Amino acid sequence: MEPNSASYVPGSCPTRPEPEETGLESFQFRDEIQRLMTVPPENASSFTALLELPATQAMQLLHSSPHSAAGGGDEHKPYSSSSSFTNGNLTFPSNKALIERAAKFSVFAAAEISPETSSVPSNSSANLDKVKTEPAETDSNPDSSNKTQKLAKRKEREKKGKDCAKKSKNESCEDAEKLPYVHVRARRGQATDSHSLAERARREKINARMKLLQELVPGCSKISGTALVLDEIINHVQSLQRQVELLSMRLAAVNPRIDFNFDSVFATEGGPLIDSNIPSVVSPSMWPENPFTGNRQNFQQQWNFDALHQPLWGREEENHIFITPENSLLSYDSSANSASLHSNQLKMEL
Amino acid sequence: MRHPSSLKQEFLKKWIMGLQRCGFSSKKSMSVMERKKAIKLSADLAMASTRNGTTCWSRALIANASRNHENKILAEQILGPESQSLKKASSTMPPVICSRRIRSKKILKRSCSSHVRRVRKFALSQKVLSANSVAKRLVRKRTNILKSLVPGGEYMDDISLIEETLDYIAYLRAQVDVMRCVASATEVVDRNSD
Repeated sequence: MEPNSASYVPGSCPTRPEPEETGLESFQFRDEIQRLMTVPPENASSFTALLELPATQAMQLLHSSPHSAAGGGDEHKPYSSSSSFTNGNLTFPSNKALIERAAKFSVFAAAEISPETSSVPSNSSANLDKVKTEPAETDSNPDSSNKTQKLAKRKEREKKGKDCAKKSKNESCEDAEKLPYVHVRARRGQATDSHSLAERARREKINARMKLLQELVPGCSKISGTALVLDEIINHVQSLQRQVELLSMRLAAVNPRIDFNFDSVFATEGGPLIDSNIPSVVSPSMWPENPFTGNRQNFQQQWNFDALHQPLWGREEENHIFITPENSLLSYDSSANSASLHSNQLKMEL
Repeated sequence: MRHPSSLKQEFLKKWIMGLQRCGFSSKKSMSVMERKKAIKLSADLAMASTRNGTTCWSRALIANASRNHENKILAEQILGPESQSLKKASSTMPPVICSRRIRSKKILKRSCSSHVRRVRKFALSQKVLSANSVAKRLVRKRTNILKSLVPGGEYMDDISLIEETLDYIAYLRAQVDVMRCVASATEVVDRNSD
């Protein structure tokens, strides 16, 4: 469906990278915004007074809402849907009466914090300060009730007549200053009692984290469906554990004399040298295609070619071993090359 | 997220320290299995210490290691002086608090479900073969397996289980990388010196 608002300003939305918008929801929200924007000034001022925000911030909020709302994830899609912005830790509202009132309100959402590394790191924080809905609701509910009734009627007329009236809640941030409520947006045609809301929030949390896991485990991103993804994850963890076992056996089988000297080499000189040599030259092509969140990205940034000019070329090679990525063939090749240098040094030490 | 190479460095340092303290430096002859256990143990502890008790699996690892008395000393040495509080936390926390949590959850479930059960009984009998329930069962089975794999996983709820798995996978990868390189390096050395 296409948005009907020509006067709607998409460009002014805050820079949150929303993965996809369901057409239906964007249609709803833009419609609503359109209506709200054409509301007469005194209502507009009361609306902004509702939010206890200056008018500019309120307008910004309005603009931001469809994106934030539409990014709320789609229940109908399978688990692979990208709803990365729903990463936050939602706490559940304690006052049901207030929630009911909030449900009648058609105020708009704000961002949600995602404490863990998600793909929406800093953009969401920009929106957090703008939402203050709890005090607004309590103060201005009598004002808004007429307005919401009007809005509701218009909605019902224009929409195709779903059974559940659209109820929206605000998503508040997790700041200590804000009230400890979490308002979850209820989508069209979905139940809005607190149990299902809680369940849905929980499901969305789980789905978001599963997405992260899928990116981490190689070969998982194409699979859809939680059970299969979990299968892959379990296999991956098991294989890693088995590798650790095998490697520790290998190390145990090594001649103890060598082991000891190896230890002494590192213990005495490893510390400062490792620190200084870590940004050493490794070809970026060795990294696999999907960097897992944050970890390898930072690492790639640190690579520079200054390490070539370091005086201790030998030591650098030795540290080169430890930065070798998981790609087993390449790591064996490079470590074989550099291990020969290493062995020369060991002989010198001995 | 932490820089992976710094993670590996820290892990390596602590691991080697642990190996030395374990008795590798004393040149006494240990059997292969003992050495392997010592290697694995010090690697586990080294990695767990890098997390400094922020993650559940690291605490569980430390707790499991500390149960054995001889390992306890090693654990103390590897973790360092700040380990005292950590060890106390790790030894008591996972089983006690989490079992408390599990018990309270069960009580909650029982109180909620007694009402819901009557309503849903009818629906349930029809739903036994529905795709939704089958999928849920499968997912349930797999989460149980995952819980058994991740150390300390039995005490966690689904959400934190997934987070812990993420962290644990990162740790395993780093460990495998470091160990593989060390192993191949020492093997080459061994070969060359013969």
